[in-house]
Amino acid sequence: MAEAKNDRNKIYAAGVVVFLAIISLLYYLSAPVYLYIVAYMWFGFLYGILQQYGRFCMASAWRDLIMVKVPRMFVGVMIGMIALSFIAVFIFNQYPERYHTTQIGLHGLIGGLLFGLGMVFAGGCATGSLYKTGEGNMISLTVLLSLSFAQAIFAVTIFDSIFQRFIEFLPRTSMVELIFGKPAVPAGTEYHLNYADYSFWQHMIADAGVNALLISAILLIGVYVIVVRKGFLRRRAAAITAKSGAAADGGEAKMGFKDEVAGFWSMITSSRRTSIAAILIALVAAGQVFSLAWMADKFDFINFGNVLVHQTASKNAPPSTWPDETYPNDVAVRSGNTVFDPGYWYITTQEAMFAGWSMKTVGLDSHPADGSPGYLENNHYFGDYNGLPRPWLSPAMLLSFGLILGASFKALLAREFKWKFPTRELFIYAVIGGTLMGIGARIALGCNIGAFYAPVAFGDPSGWVFFVGMGLGAYISAKFVNWIANRKMADMDMDFDIEL
Amino acid sequence: MKFNKKDDGTYELDVRGYVCPHPQLYTLKSLEKMQDGMILEVLIDNPSSVESVTQACNGRGYAILEQNSPKAGVTAIKIQK
Repeated sequence: MAEAKNDRNKIYAAGVVVFLAIISLLYYLSAPVYLYIVAYMWFGFLYGILQQYGRFCMASAWRDLIMVKVPRMFVGVMIGMIALSFIAVFIFNQYPERYHTTQIGLHGLIGGLLFGLGMVFAGGCATGSLYKTGEGNMISLTVLLSLSFAQAIFAVTIFDSIFQRFIEFLPRTSMVELIFGKPAVPAGTEYHLNYADYSFWQHMIADAGVNALLISAILLIGVYVIVVRKGFLRRRAAAITAKSGAAADGGEAKMGFKDEVAGFWSMITSSRRTSIAAILIALVAAGQVFSLAWMADKFDFINFGNVLVHQTASKNAPPSTWPDETYPNDVAVRSGNTVFDPGYWYITTQEAMFAGWSMKTVGLDSHPADGSPGYLENNHYFGDYNGLPRPWLSPAMLLSFGLILGASFKALLAREFKWKFPTRELFIYAVIGGTLMGIGARIALGCNIGAFYAPVAFGDPSGWVFFVGMGLGAYISAKFVNWIANRKMADMDMDFDIEL
Repeated sequence: MKFNKKDDGTYELDVRGYVCPHPQLYTLKSLEKMQDGMILEVLIDNPSSVESVTQACNGRGYAILEQNSPKAGVTAIKIQK
């Protein structure tokens, strides 16, 4: 019986792969240039497999550290980010136009704080909720839907004025610029960061060495000292004493620097599967940046939105690999006929776009009588930057889709797939958590991936601002959830017959 | 969530249906209330919580006596404090 169920799981897992293969073929037959968005989907599939394998959810980086003193995910995030940062320097050296930074300021801290508050209630971060949805967890799907629609509604109502008044003009910088200074520019000219203004080694030292490695290492040492050290040294001293008899002075064995190093190393290697997943995710993330840059180059476009309106990078006529149809209503005209096409691992924006497109499709967009764009297309977020492409032509949306199915594939193979539906309590947590994460992600211009993991790995210090905010938010909501848990346990009289 | 006494020194905690952070939180809170040497048998259907519970137990010196999957998506962990 159990074996039959196991075989059925394997068949379903194979079905997932066949389904994605058929979708890929259909895209290719429609127009070979669509392989670009198919690549997004397959990279999502790989992220899904690895996240499910490594239980890679950034919410637990802060939450489990605060609530149950488990540094596993905090370590995993740092390891992955460090690995990606060093590979990224090579990739940007090849494709400097893909290097970019985002605005740095208080919005990152506030957005991170709201996001951190939400992710503890929601039981997962933005990308964690995607992979958990793939495990059959409908509570995570509730989080995703709340996050998506909260973002879209926030983006078309309040966010436009917040962005224009407080965020848009903020400086963008990188660690390489902070350490090595801005190059000289002609008098009266405003300097804009350009990858080629700095050497390969300057990027390696500043972006990877300082922004990712050094800061991560300091944080990891801090976590070791505050969370792990005491317990580790106590257990180690007891074990050595028990093995070799009492120490000469009759007390426990003395601990030295070697033991501290052993303690730190034990923290780094405490969860093999998380650390392995973290490094493999970094390799996939690097592979994604490189492959997409290479494909865009080969297919003669800069942003995938250009394909949707037949605008080649070379200014030539569209090649035969492009579709015959054009989709002018799907792209953001004011930023050069683009759609959201980050070229790297990204999560929340495409979900906001999905929600925006859904609202537009069911007629929630109001078009003025003169035929000018409605409020969805006409606001900064959708209209100027990301466009509102149909989801199957939205590159990053295909990544999210692939990620869910990649997690399903892995969960089925591991016998971990299980349909799970929310109770009223968990539904409330999911909606509150998803909504807070959605609003936080918009204010911070990204989630735990787009506003933290990727920027930090790419030399952008703004990611650390978000990370601090995320930690503060997680701390506050962890305290609240802990208080609720204590009340619940007291109500259940759980200590009824345990002698204390 | 169900918490029952199974026999002398052994307790059961069923946190199936919950998502992070609840399973790991209730497991550790239950263990904190128990005396050294007592056993807690936990049922969890949230894979990432399983990883956190085992890590938290290792960090506190609690022994994982047994870990298996009685059915798809469910993990049973036997922990000795």
